[in-house]
Parts: sequence; C-alpha cells; structure tokens
Amino acid sequence: MKVRVNDAEIHLAPGMTVRHALIGAGLMSEVEGGKKVFDEWGNEIGLDGTLSENARIYLEGERPE
Amino acid sequence: MKQKISSISLLLSFTIVFLLAVFFAPCGAAELRILHVNDFHGFAESYKRIGSDELQGGAAYLAAKSGELKKEKPSLLLAAGDMIQGSTWANLFEGKPTIEVMNAMGFDAMVVGNHEFDFGTAVLTRRVKEANFPVLAANVTGLDALRPYTIKEVNGIRVGIIGVVTEETPAATHPGNVKGLTFLPVAGTVERYVGELKGKVDIIIVVSHLGYNADMALAGTVKGIDVIVGGHSHTKAVHHITVGDTIIVQAWEHGLVLGVLDLTVESGKVVRAASRLEDIMPAKMKKDEQVAGIVDTWAARVNESMGKVIGEAAVDLDGENARVTESNLGNFVADILKQQSRADAAIINGGGLRTSIRKGSITVGNVYSVLPFNNYIVAIRLTGQQIRDALEYGLSGIENKEGRFPQVSGITFTYSRKRAPGGRLGTVEIAGEPIDPSRQYTVATNDFLAAGGDGYQAFREAIRQAPDFEILGGTIRSGNLVYNDAGRWLRDVVVSEVSREKKVNPALEGRIKVEN
Repeated sequence: MKVRVNDAEIHLAPGMTVRHALIGAGLMSEVEGGKKVFDEWGNEIGLDGTLSENARIYLEGERPE
Repeated sequence: MKQKISSISLLLSFTIVFLLAVFFAPCGAAELRILHVNDFHGFAESYKRIGSDELQGGAAYLAAKSGELKKEKPSLLLAAGDMIQGSTWANLFEGKPTIEVMNAMGFDAMVVGNHEFDFGTAVLTRRVKEANFPVLAANVTGLDALRPYTIKEVNGIRVGIIGVVTEETPAATHPGNVKGLTFLPVAGTVERYVGELKGKVDIIIVVSHLGYNADMALAGTVKGIDVIVGGHSHTKAVHHITVGDTIIVQAWEHGLVLGVLDLTVESGKVVRAASRLEDIMPAKMKKDEQVAGIVDTWAARVNESMGKVIGEAAVDLDGENARVTESNLGNFVADILKQQSRADAAIINGGGLRTSIRKGSITVGNVYSVLPFNNYIVAIRLTGQQIRDALEYGLSGIENKEGRFPQVSGITFTYSRKRAPGGRLGTVEIAGEPIDPSRQYTVATNDFLAAGGDGYQAFREAIRQAPDFEILGGTIRSGNLVYNDAGRWLRDVVVSEVSREKKVNPALEGRIKVEN
C-alpha cells in the first residue's frame, strides 16, 4: 500500500496505520513533541487510524492550503 | 403614546416571526439525534495523548455526556467498530469489559470492526451474545451471531441501520481468526440491503468500519443512504460532510469525543442536519457512577493479572545487553516470532527489549515491562542480500548502543566492530547453510521494523517491491508479506508462550559471533 506523508512516498503493509507511516517517514519524534496529524481534507487523525491506498497525510503546518 | 406604538410593533414582529416559523417548518417533521463513537479500542480509562498534558476520554465521562444528550432529544447511540480490542484493560479479558460498558451506556447497535475478529470467532460470538444490542456486519458471511441490519423506531421515525466492515479484515489479523468467514464487497452488499429496507423504513443509516475515504466513495456509489456513521480511519470530523444526499460523520478515536448528529426528518427525508463533536474532558465533566464502577472493577483485575505468575526463569533473562551482543532474552523472543509465523528466520531490534527478567518467577507484568510497546508480528519475504543489508545496518550503531542491534533466530552471523559501519558483517548462515544472496527467505520481525523503524530499510523495501496483495479464503496472498497478526500484541504472544513452557531456560548459542 502506497501513501504519502507530507511529500514523501511511503510503502506500508496492509492494515498498517498512521503511526507506521510516520515511523517510515522518520517523523514520529515530531508527533511526540506535540504536532498533530491531518488527512488531505484537513481533519485531524489518530495515530492508530488505518490508511487506504494513495492516502495523503500531513504533519501540522505541512498541509498545502 | 410612543411607548404604546413600540409595544404594538414588538408584538407584531413576534407574531410575524412566529407565523413565518410555522409556515416554513416541515409539516410532520420529527427530530432524531444520533450519538456515535468509533474505534474506542477499550480505552475505558482517561489518558494523556502524546504531546498533551491534559487527561482526555474515559468511559465514565463519555457515558455521562451520552446520558445528558439523550435526555434532550429522542436518540440512537451507535458504535462504528473496533470497540473491544486495543488496550490492556480490554485485551486481557478478550473484550468482555467493553461490552459491559456498552450495555450500561445503552448502545442501540454496533458494527464489527476488523479488530473485533482479533480474538477469534468463538470469542466474538460470546461477546455478541453478551451484548444487549445487535452487532452488525452485512458483508460478512459464516458467523450466525452477526446480523446484516436492524430496524429501530425512534420518535415515530423508522430507522434502518446496516453495518459493514472493511473487506481487508483478513489481511490484518491472524488467518485462524477469520477461518470460514467471507468478506463480501461492500458497495454491492449495501445496495442489496438498501433495496430490501426501502419501503420498510423512513431513513437508512450505514454504520461503517471502512474509513473516511471509503465512506465518501460508498456515498458516491450507492444511492439511498441518508447517513454514514463511520470509523476505521480515526478521523476527527468536526462537522459532517455531504456526498450526494448522504451525510458522513466520524468521531475520532478512543472515546475522546462523542459525535452528535441532529436530524430533522420529514416524509422519509432528512430535511435538516446539524453536527458537532463533544470533547470528553474529565477535568470539566461529571462521570457516570455505574460505568465508573465497571471500569474500576476491571482495572483492579488488570492489576491482579499483572502480578500473576505464569512461569519460571531458570536463568537471568538479559535484556540490558541486547543492544550490543547476543542476549538469551533476545534469542527467546526472536524464537517465538519465528515459530509463530513459521518463518525461516527472525530479526528483532535489541532496543525493543526494555529490561531484564531475573531468575525465578515470571509474572505477566515482567513480560509487559520487557515489551511495553504495542508491537505485533509480521513476516516478510526477503532476499538473502536484503537480510545481509538488514544485519549490516543493525550493526552500524554499536558504539552508541543504538536500539537497532539485531537479535536473531534461525540465523548465525559474525561481525567485527573494528571495521567501519557498513562493512562490519562477516559470514551469515541460515539453518546452518551459508546465506544465498539471491534466494528468498521468510523473515519474521515486528511491525515497527517492518515500517522502517530504527532506520531499517530492508523490510519496507521488500514490501515496496511487492505491494499488491489479495485475500483468498480468509488468508493473505501477497508477493512478500506472508504473515500479519496485527490484532495480537507480541507481549501477549510471549505471555502465552511462557505460560505454555512453564520453565524458561534460553541460552547463548553463538548466534552472533565477534570475529577475532
């Protein structure tokens, strides 16, 4: 399954979550520091949220307006 | 005189406003409030989210808010899946505590999420029987306890509620958990039941465990759905969206908020909708004492369970040196990964073992301290070269005792720390034979390393090379992913194994040798 975190393409096994995508992108430390994660529609999403093929997620402040 | 005129004007204004309101109010309109929760995952106790200092959530506070809002309007309380699995409070008792809480809260219906299958179908059937509300899954066949839909009448409105769960469920749980079940395509299934319910109900709600994007696709594909109450993607949808004529809502995760959707229904149509999420903030709220009692009772049982002796260590189990050398605890855990997934080998990160267990009694709490993270077992097909690359990378941070140091099963290798990072690995054998760089082997690991945690690239590279998978007969058919038990934490697998073996005596076997 391919997803995008900010602008980076990340490949995940089925069933993997927002947390795994952030680990793959090396961004978990930013979330631990208090940054939130958003989907492409601007909704905040939980770290255990499941991602779908071609989903786009963004760290707080990274989502294009 | 002036005062009299202004009083008459005021009275006239009120009369006009009242008449306009009566004129434009939907004739025969009725109100319905939908309260909704999704992806609760057994988070019954309030907690501080990563990056926050404030306590949030908690079933007792969620129940109090739900009760308060139910009193205001005729309501339905719905759950959109993944309710019973995901926290120690729920997992240790296979989800039973969550059902008790849901019964006390008066849920009207829930759909199963993919994680409802994580304890197997026999346990799920027991949980469904314990529930005082229907548990739905229209697109799952093979489990009689689940119903495709239910019909509720609230405030004179007949509401059809259809439940659907992601078709990818078999790819994210142990194959044994979904044996004999078939997960049907969602859109066709919903279309069928919308047709069946048409004429019998005023409005149709789909309670979905598909994810926000999939809910939008469903709304765009199948006509006749008035509302989708969603889950699975843990989306904090502050307000509803509308796709075609379908309203879509979702309420984040863990009972951190309660979703509220107020509908006005007239002649079988939703003519007005307003939605919000109510934050569940214990510092500012009352709690429901009955639910608080249930939460506390099971929390006390969790504490009891942590002290339960499950086996005995014949030797000290060394987790403290797992970042720099072969460790008997590393061998023990890596062996469990290999056995469970029937892989050729296993590689885990030494840093994942957070402490040691002293010789003597082993408690559940000891194992939880060694493996505090919510990691699960996966197995991926790697080439011999990719295994070499993974091991080489794992050896690159020994000087700083980096957590990436590999603990292995089914593999022996040599290395020299005198050589520079990237050139430290010497010989590698699998099952006693020199590794073949071009041959494929199945390698078990945890989901953290599989996702690229600690900087490991080999597993995610193998996933990238064969991203497609399909589910046939309840098992995964994939290029490189051969085992994926996302519903069972590694620490619980280790607890089971210690309980089974009773006496644990892992040794240093020369799996990792330093070259002279």
